[in-house]
Parts: sequence; structure tokens; C-alpha cells
Amino acid sequence: MKNLRIGAILGALLMVAAACSSTPVGKAGGTLIVALPGDIVRTDAALMDDSNTSYVIQQVVETLVGLEPGSTSKVIPVLSESYVMSADGLTYTFKLRSGIKFHDGTEFNADAVVFNYERFIGLPTELRDYAFYIGDIFGGYGSESNLESATKIDDLTVAIKLRKASSNFLLTQTLQVFAIQSPTALVLGKADNTETDVAKITAATGGAGAMVGTGPFKFVKWVVGDSVEIEKNAEYWDKAKVAYVDAIIFKAVAEEAQRVNGLATGEIDLAQTIAPATIAAIAANPDLQLIDRGSSFNTFQISMNHTYAPISNPKIREAIAYAIDYDFLIATFYAGAAVRATNWMPAGVAYAKDLNLPGYDVEKAKQLIAESGETDLTIDFWYPNDVSRPYMPDPKGLFEAITANLEAVGFTINPNSDGWREGYLDDENQGKYEMWLLGWTGDWAGPDNFLKTAFFGYKNGAPSKEFAYKNDALDKAMNDALAAGTEAEAKTLWETAQDLIRADMPTVPVANSKPQAAATIDLKGFIGSAALNEPLNLVWLDRP
Amino acid sequence: MGRYIVRRLIAAIPVLIGLSILLFAYIRILPGDPCVAILGQHRTPEACAALRENLGLDLPLWEQYIRYLTNTLSGDLGASVVNSQPFLAEFLTRFPGTVELTIGALVFALGAGIPLGRLAARKVGGRIDGLITGVSLFGVSIPVFVLGLALVAIFGVILEWLPTQGRIDARARFDATSGLLLIDTLFAGRLDLFVDVVRHLILPSIALGSIPLAIIARITRASVIEVVNEDYVRTARSKGLKEKTVDNRHVMRNAWLPVTTVVGLQAGGLLGGAVLTETVFVWNGVGRWVVDAIQNRDYPIVQSTILVFALIFLVVNLLVDIGYALLNPKIRYQ
Repeated sequence: MKNLRIGAILGALLMVAAACSSTPVGKAGGTLIVALPGDIVRTDAALMDDSNTSYVIQQVVETLVGLEPGSTSKVIPVLSESYVMSADGLTYTFKLRSGIKFHDGTEFNADAVVFNYERFIGLPTELRDYAFYIGDIFGGYGSESNLESATKIDDLTVAIKLRKASSNFLLTQTLQVFAIQSPTALVLGKADNTETDVAKITAATGGAGAMVGTGPFKFVKWVVGDSVEIEKNAEYWDKAKVAYVDAIIFKAVAEEAQRVNGLATGEIDLAQTIAPATIAAIAANPDLQLIDRGSSFNTFQISMNHTYAPISNPKIREAIAYAIDYDFLIATFYAGAAVRATNWMPAGVAYAKDLNLPGYDVEKAKQLIAESGETDLTIDFWYPNDVSRPYMPDPKGLFEAITANLEAVGFTINPNSDGWREGYLDDENQGKYEMWLLGWTGDWAGPDNFLKTAFFGYKNGAPSKEFAYKNDALDKAMNDALAAGTEAEAKTLWETAQDLIRADMPTVPVANSKPQAAATIDLKGFIGSAALNEPLNLVWLDRP
Repeated sequence: MGRYIVRRLIAAIPVLIGLSILLFAYIRILPGDPCVAILGQHRTPEACAALRENLGLDLPLWEQYIRYLTNTLSGDLGASVVNSQPFLAEFLTRFPGTVELTIGALVFALGAGIPLGRLAARKVGGRIDGLITGVSLFGVSIPVFVLGLALVAIFGVILEWLPTQGRIDARARFDATSGLLLIDTLFAGRLDLFVDVVRHLILPSIALGSIPLAIIARITRASVIEVVNEDYVRTARSKGLKEKTVDNRHVMRNAWLPVTTVVGLQAGGLLGGAVLTETVFVWNGVGRWVVDAIQNRDYPIVQSTILVFALIFLVVNLLVDIGYALLNPKIRYQ
């Protein structure tokens, strides 16, 4: 009987879920106003490494493969119809969709894909700092790039060849930096690797050739420092997903109060990010809706550098992990929109497992300190004093609360702070800090993006200056996992890597936050994604 | 008069040279490596070296200064290190926004400040005088951003009377030509949008104009009180002239002199106030731009904006002095 009831409830839930996932029939027309926390930086997908630009550009350009709306890790074909990996894992053959045109009227075909991928490989030295992800993902450019070649097989088939197998290849190709832009427009906008001065590449500065893709919206104009306007592409190839709204205007609204006020007055329809402190105000307003993006895609941690004592002592690091009152931090600083970290990567990332991290236990922390044999318990501890991050909404408040926790178990904390860009990021990166607050928002949902890129990967064959965390077995496991030929092999290796990290407790992961969005109540069809892959062509405004 | 203007122009040269040295030094003594600011976290040593050479940071200081001065005089005021956009072109697209806001604030400050000052002077010592003096003290004391946010909350969010963000309804997708939207909308024959632009101007103009209003009201009150007791005013009254004539021809004409000076100084000061007002009201002007530039450590933009603001301040003051000279012949002959 009990099973029957559970079955009935499950059935009902499935029906609701099915109803929710069926394509909604929305109202066409209107202009959508979206508030972003800042302005975009460039209008060329390849020369981009910030989230504001990426949020806008994803509406206009498309990649060979993308993420299923709402998911951070499920890869689906977009401009490709299908793809096959060779047995040695080195070649990916993409069958392209036919009949697609770029916004400038030119054909999307194998030549266009080859043109774009050759551009990625041969990007001039002067431009590489603006295209961080391309170099980072492929390990460099030219002969150093893991991207060996892109070859046209026929008009609608392309083979992309890697120098060594990389299990994250498809996932990384969902990033907008790998979007296929119109070759004609790239030549027009001097974004064809002939011009090395970024200021003269009009495709990147909003002029001729800017943002010419195949997406559901077309680029109209960029009022630098103020707004970006895009309009509906009525000829969009995926007829089921032609945009509802006529146009979208992305406004840079830096002040949190004005994002919330703008929603209340109707001058803004969607605020892409709101701070935990304003969640209650939005929830209390019947004309507004809070948008929970489901899972988290970031990790906030107490970072540590192992060259300094007493941090170099593993028992001390474990003691710190036991000293923190995680529930208090999440309730106080995240308004509940966060979960306790169970790993160095959020739960939604491939192969992430619950590592059974220490909980709040003052006695255990004191016991570990006693066992450590350390007598000088003084720690230099840093926080950034002029920013907040999605994973760290109130750095000073978090710092003070964590300091109080650590002092309660016997540590002496030397408090320090610096400006984010004035020295904080640089100094922590150069290994000048003993302990500091920092986190990471994922770029792609592969374990390598968190465990290797963000945290513990070796740099030039040695432990990073940032953490000075030496574990050769871990570095080998992560490299082997990336080059793994099969899914099962990758899974085993990534699990080994996680166990190795857990055994050393190199830093203390604290929380995975869930940055919320907010919208007016009549905004419908929005599918939130923790990775901010949010196609706004599916959104409509339910108003007269 | 011509000689007076030439003299004033020549006097401005050392000020400008001093300013350029200060600005040049200011950027160089700021903490942090320009390479970090420009190329960010992901920079490579090779890119840093190339950047230093490109920016001339490897040259001796005096050579760097000469280079900076030559570039500035030839109109090359640099480009943003964040988005590579050239300063001058960007400044010119934003300046009309700041001009429109400054004019709005001045209209509000003068339109309300002078009548209030006159009224207070007429009722000196009375309740109305007390009220006006009190309100003007409040106006001077309240920070612009606090007043701005309060106006947004009251007139935008609660009463829903006026828009609170931007210069025009973004949904109208209006293409400006000159950048002065009051004029552009009229020329485009869009009276509805002209009204919309005026409505967008009201709250930021009040926020930005509150301090000048208070100062203008107080100065007007003080100078009217001073003038009204002069012998020539008493003579005018005793001749049997109408009160209105005495007021306009004898009192206000002389009371205008200190008011003009203050208006000039305030007009320059409004540029500073615009920095905060534009940020609060998401106003696309120079002020909001420079706030973003400061936050992004976009030094060339900050440096060139200060230089141009200083130039504008000098020009406005010169114009005020000329106006003063026109109103008061004694100045011209000194």
C-alpha cells in the first residue's frame, strides 16, 4: 500500500515535470531589459574572458556543441548535428547542420568552422592575453596548442584533431569563446589574425564585423559603459526556438540597490544577479520573482599556502576545517542560498563525490592542534576589501566570522586586507599570503576546471606558488584522468585524485553558493543555469 | 575687454602645466603594477615586457612626461585599458549626457534658489525665512547619493511618478544623433520621447541641483539683505518708485554680482557631483564612466577625464569672470 502511494506521488511528480519541460507557448513581442552587474568588455567571442560579455554574446553566437538549457554538464549538439570521437581519442569528426546562415547572410559550413579553429590555433601573441581560455584549455598556441588541426572533410563535415587525448574536449567546446563567427565578418572586422592591436580590431570593439554569429539574436549596438542592444533573428535556423521578444537591452547597473529598484519600477525586467542581502526584499514583493538556478557552480574556500608554518602541518589544516561554524556562515552571509561544500568542486560537476569533510567540532579542532605539536599558532590571514564575489558575498563579514571561529580554538590571527586588483589577486597568486579567502566559479563542469585549473594543478611541472601544495601522485592522476581514453578510466582516476586531496586537506572548502536572479512576475520561460548558460530566446513577457 | 580676456587666458597656461605634472605624477605614484591593471591575472612576462615598451614605461621619467605632453597636445588622450576604446571618442559620446544633466540641475537650482532667496530676504527673521534657511542648510548637508536614492525610493518606487534610470525609456530604442536628447527627440519630431527625456531628467536634476540650490538661495538672501539697506535703494523708494521697479532695477541688479560668481563656481562643482548622481541614476554620462574607470583601475581614462574636467572648470570660470566683468565695469579697468 505504502509502495503504491509512493508510486502515485512519483507518477504525479513526473507528470508535473513533463508539463514543465514541454515547450511553452509564449507571447511574442516587446523589449526585454536585462540588468547586468557590469558592462561587456569586447564584442568578439574569441577575445573574451569575463562573464558579462559571455552572457550577452551567448545570445548571438553559437558553438558546435552546447549545454542543455539549465544543465551545467550535459553536452548537446548545436551547430553540429552529431559528432564522433576516434578510437584513440585524438580526432573528433563533426557533422554540421545544413541550411544555416550567419547574420550577415553568408553560409555556415565546414570552411567557416575551419576558419574559426585555425584562428584559435594561430592567434597572434599580442592578442593571447585577451583570449585566456583558448590558451588555457589547449595549453598554448601554434605548435604548443593541443589543438593540432581543423580539416574540412566535405562541405558539412569537419575533423578536429588533438595532439593528445583530452577527456574535457567536448565540455570545453561549449564555452562561447569557441563560437563559430562569420569568416566574412571576421575579415571585415580585422579579426583574422592579421591585426595585432586589439584597439584596431573593430570586430572586438563594437564596430564593423562585431558579433556576427548564427544565434537567435543579432547584434545591434554597444553603447560602451552603458548598454548593449540585440534584436530578434527572425530567420533563426531552429524554428521552434525563434525568440519571443523583439529585442533585448542589457544595461550595466553596478549598484545592487538600483537593480532592485529598477525591477520594482518596471524599468528592468530581469536582474541577472542579485546579492543574498536583497533576497528577502524581492521575495516580499508580489510583483517580483526570485529565480533559483538549482545547483551551485562555485566553491568558496579558505585558501592556504604550505610554505608557511603552522599551515604546512596537515593536522593544523584539519583542525581549521573542524573549527569553522559552516551553518552560521551560510545562514548569515548567504541568506541560505548556499550549501555546505562537500568537496573542492560543487556536487554537479562530473565525478564529484562527497568527501566527508570535517564538520564544526571545537573539541576535535583543539585535540588536533594539541596533536600537531605546533606551539606558535599565529597565522597571517587576508581578505579583499573592495569587492564581493558570487561565492563570497561579504568578504569582510566572512573574514571576521572565520577569524572568531579560529581564535576560539586557540589560533592567533593577524588580520590583513588589500584591494582586489591593487595587489590581492597578484600577491596570493605569487605565494605571498599564508591564508586567505578566495573561491572559483566554474567555466565548464569538468573536475579539471576546479581541481586542476583553479586549485591544485602544477604550473610548469612544479607546485603552484599560490598554494605550494606538493603532491606528485595527485598531479599525475589528474593528467592521466584528462588523457583517459574511456569514461570508466577517467572516473577512477578523478576519484583517486579527490581522495588524494581529501587526505591532505590542502585548503578548507566552505560553501557552494547559489547566486540568484530576480525578475518581474510577468517574465516567463526563463531557464536558469548555475553556469549562466541562459538562452533568452525562450523568455517572453506576459503583459499587454 | 579683449585685453582682459587675453590676460586671463595667459594666466591659465601655468595652471594647465602644473595640472599636467600633477596628473602625470599621480598616475605613477599609485600603488600596483600597470601591467597587472592592464593585462590582469593571466598576463605572461613576455606580454608585460611588450606592454611596457609599447607604453614607453621603460623610458626615463622626463622622457615619459614629454611623450605624455606631446600626445595630449596632439589630441591623443589614450585609450581604455579595459575595453581598448579611445578616450576622446568615448568622452564625446558621454559628454552631452553630463551637459544635459548639469543644465537640468542648474535650471532647478537657479529657478528655485533665487526666488527662495528673495522671499527669505523679504521676510527676513520671519517663519518663512527660517524655513527656507533650514531647508537650504539641509540641502547643503545631505550627500548627493543619499538624496538620490531617497528620491528614487519615494518618487520612483513608492509613488511611481517618475522614471529612475537612464536618460530615456530604453524600450523606445531611440537613436540619438547629437547626444543631447532634448534636442534630438524634438528634431526627430518625437514629442512623446521629448516628454520622456524631461521626465527622466527631473529626479537626477533635483539630486544634483540640491547643493547649488541651497547655496544660491543663501547667497541671494544675503546679498539682497545687504543691498536693500543701501542708500540708493532708500532713495529710489523715497522717489516713489514702485516696489517691483525698485526690486528689479536697483536691488536685484546689484545683488546679482555675488550670485553670478557662485553660479559659476557651482557649475564647475556640478561636474564633480555628476559623478555620484550619474551612478545612482544609471545615467550615461562622463561621471558614471569615470566611476567605472576608477573601479576598474582604468588609469588612462581617469587621468584624461580629470584633465578635461579641469579644462572645463577653467573655461567655465573664465566665462563667469567675463560675465562678472560685463555686469561690473569696475573689474574691467583693474
